[in-house]
Amino acid sequence: MSSYYEASARERLHALFDRGSFHEFLPPSERVVSPHLVQLDTPAAFDDGVIVGRATLDGRPVLVAAQEGGFMGGAVGEVHGAKLVGLLERARDEKPAAVLLLVESGGVRLHEANAGLIGVSEIMRAVLALRSEGVPVVVLDGGQFGCFGGMGIVARLCDAIVMSEEGRLGLSGPEVIETTCGVEEFDSRDRALVWRTVGGKHRYLLGEADAIVADDISAFRAAAIHLLDTKPDLSLEALTAEHERLGARIEKFGALRDALDIWSALGVEKPENLPLLEADAFRAAVDGKRA
Amino acid sequence: MRDWNTQARNRQARLARAAALARANGGKEVAAADAGALLEAVLEPGDRVCLEGNNQKQADFLARALAELNPEKVHDLHMVQSVLALPEHIDVFERGVASQLDFSFSGPQAGRLAKLVSANQIRIGAIHTYLELFGRYFVDLTPRVSLVCAQAADRAGNLYTGPNTEDTPVIVEATAFKSGIVIAQVNEILDSLPRVDIPGGWVDFVIQSPKPHYIEPLFTRDPAQISEIQVLMAMMAIKGIYAEYEVNRLNHGIGFDTAAIELLLPTYAESLGLKGKICRHWALNPHPALIPAIEAGFVESVHSFGSELGMEAYIRARPDVFFTGPDGSMRSNRALCQAAGHYACDMFIGSTLQIDLAGNSSTATLGRISGFGGAPNMGSDARGRRHASPAWLKAGREARAGRNLIPRGQKLVVQMVETFREHMQPAFVEKLDAWELAESANMDLPPVMIYGEDVTHILTEEGVANLLLCRTDEEREQAIRGVAGYTPVGLGRDRRMVENLRDRGIIRRPEDLGVDKRLATRDLLAARSVKDLVRASGGLYDPPKRFRNW
Repeated sequence: MSSYYEASARERLHALFDRGSFHEFLPPSERVVSPHLVQLDTPAAFDDGVIVGRATLDGRPVLVAAQEGGFMGGAVGEVHGAKLVGLLERARDEKPAAVLLLVESGGVRLHEANAGLIGVSEIMRAVLALRSEGVPVVVLDGGQFGCFGGMGIVARLCDAIVMSEEGRLGLSGPEVIETTCGVEEFDSRDRALVWRTVGGKHRYLLGEADAIVADDISAFRAAAIHLLDTKPDLSLEALTAEHERLGARIEKFGALRDALDIWSALGVEKPENLPLLEADAFRAAVDGKRA
Repeated sequence: MRDWNTQARNRQARLARAAALARANGGKEVAAADAGALLEAVLEPGDRVCLEGNNQKQADFLARALAELNPEKVHDLHMVQSVLALPEHIDVFERGVASQLDFSFSGPQAGRLAKLVSANQIRIGAIHTYLELFGRYFVDLTPRVSLVCAQAADRAGNLYTGPNTEDTPVIVEATAFKSGIVIAQVNEILDSLPRVDIPGGWVDFVIQSPKPHYIEPLFTRDPAQISEIQVLMAMMAIKGIYAEYEVNRLNHGIGFDTAAIELLLPTYAESLGLKGKICRHWALNPHPALIPAIEAGFVESVHSFGSELGMEAYIRARPDVFFTGPDGSMRSNRALCQAAGHYACDMFIGSTLQIDLAGNSSTATLGRISGFGGAPNMGSDARGRRHASPAWLKAGREARAGRNLIPRGQKLVVQMVETFREHMQPAFVEKLDAWELAESANMDLPPVMIYGEDVTHILTEEGVANLLLCRTDEEREQAIRGVAGYTPVGLGRDRRMVENLRDRGIIRRPEDLGVDKRLATRDLLAARSVKDLVRASGGLYDPPKRFRNW
């Protein structure tokens, strides 16, 4: 078993796709670095914290991107964003079986916030354009920094999200919520609270993550293969149904204070035991009870 | 005729002043709201007071009550306590309730302590090791009043400390048998206790505190934070020291370096065929990182200074390994475990902040008076030891070979450090910061954690230096420089001499030890996350929230 959580973005790419199949576009040797960080006298990365390229998955061609949390928490800057947009645009021409985004990002890079914000909006637009042309976009989220801010929105615009329990998904990160709303609202140092609020299990129970897997690269690989045949559906009916589902969700759970209350309301027996369960046992325990 | 009973009569006078505050049932129970009044009634200016501040559990309610006393009525107290951990421990000085201090360790309050010392608001008698301070409780620092802490009391004043017994027995013993007064804060008052740790006859007053006392989880190290360098160093420790000396009785420090060793026992040490040959008996707190080694059958016994939050159910389920009472919960004892660590262990291994060219090591930094705790008792040769063991004899032989000395053994004292610590500060220095601190705080001596003459091995990512085999001060210095990497001290090595020391086996690199650096990855750890530790414990370990990521 090889931990997805502990691996670097490059290790994930090499272990997840068919052996030797990964080919990188704009590799570090091209030295395409952030123009903004240099001006601020801040260390840059030769790949600007994201690796894009092509690979095969179970023999099928895919375009892939992996964000590196180890560089500025995977935050999106101008070059970083442009690489992701370029990959998605390329997919519109090449029509691969799918695009896989191995996300790990705290959101927009504050050092180049305007460029990063524009980058994120372009990524969103590109994801939707690509999906409307029938190419599915699948997100894998199990890294140390989770997936927050602009990338959290991007993730929810895609066709499917695979998470491990260790993965996290949200808009504002725990520290941001605590800083703006106070420790009474959200204690970011209560790590059990953090994980049961933004962690993979809760996202799976709420229906935001489509698959929950063990923290193991081969488990992510198997889940990704399974999702290759997802058919994007951006029809009005599908969107209306999704909105109705979200409306019903807020009605049902909006007044509850804690994830445990929601799990209880979903009819999970002994919700306090869910955090300890391994992925397989967890899926079995919540089978048919997801929102 | 001289009055030989002044202390007992003084005690009676104090008890009489407090009598009105004690409720029925033998007159020991005092309401929490009356805590301040009780302290005012029993304390006299200039009293020696022990406020139970351990490095884990804290008599926090009584600490607050003491700090809030009126300094016009209660002042110039002489605090004799092992650890200053809470802000209130310093507040009592800042507010003028106390003025003199004898202690061991002040970790979290070290900065404030230094400030008050330089402002002359605290006079420090001495900074002790634990055993020293406990010893002085029975010689010249006997507390007049002790404020201690327990899980529960019954109506007769018997105390149940739970797994964190820690310093309570030694404090109460010294106070109660010298006509002092013992006040205990407890989390609950029960009709019958799971077991009696302190007999009620030794306890004068019991107060149920509004909130359970604070316990610090001090010994939990998240395996996720162990680096591959630490894995490499742990491999060298196991192969180059544990295996070669057959170390079976030992104490570990609390850092990530030694946690890595604990997590390599079921994997790397097992692969070397060392199970049953090393690491069988421990003087150690119940480190969660030890769970995989216990489950793998490496560990036969563990006696502990204190407990560790979250380990209660696991300990209860492993009574063959831990010391537990008839009720099933652990009983720890800091004084006895320190004595065990000093006399009954063959090895201490731990980390430090600075090592000088003579091997002296210190954790002192300017502006912080942090004290010692237990490391100096663990990390010093027990010159009163007389029983032999293979590890002790081999170390003694190495130190004496070729010299006309009567045979005796020696304890292994290993300092394990990366050559650079946080913020690229070199761990090896020409002169310890302790010198500057001693000068600025007017201390008699620079505060040295472990003296160079006691250190037998220094282990860094560059290799192991065996100081037992050095014959001159110069050899010793070069042996230390020879493992000090790219620090200025390391760069200042005499290359020829270091190569010569390597030829003689005094310095050994990973390749000399047969340690394959390519194997030094986190995959070698028996647990790579706190959750892995929970899994290894069969779900019995219940880590504090701050260590979870689930």
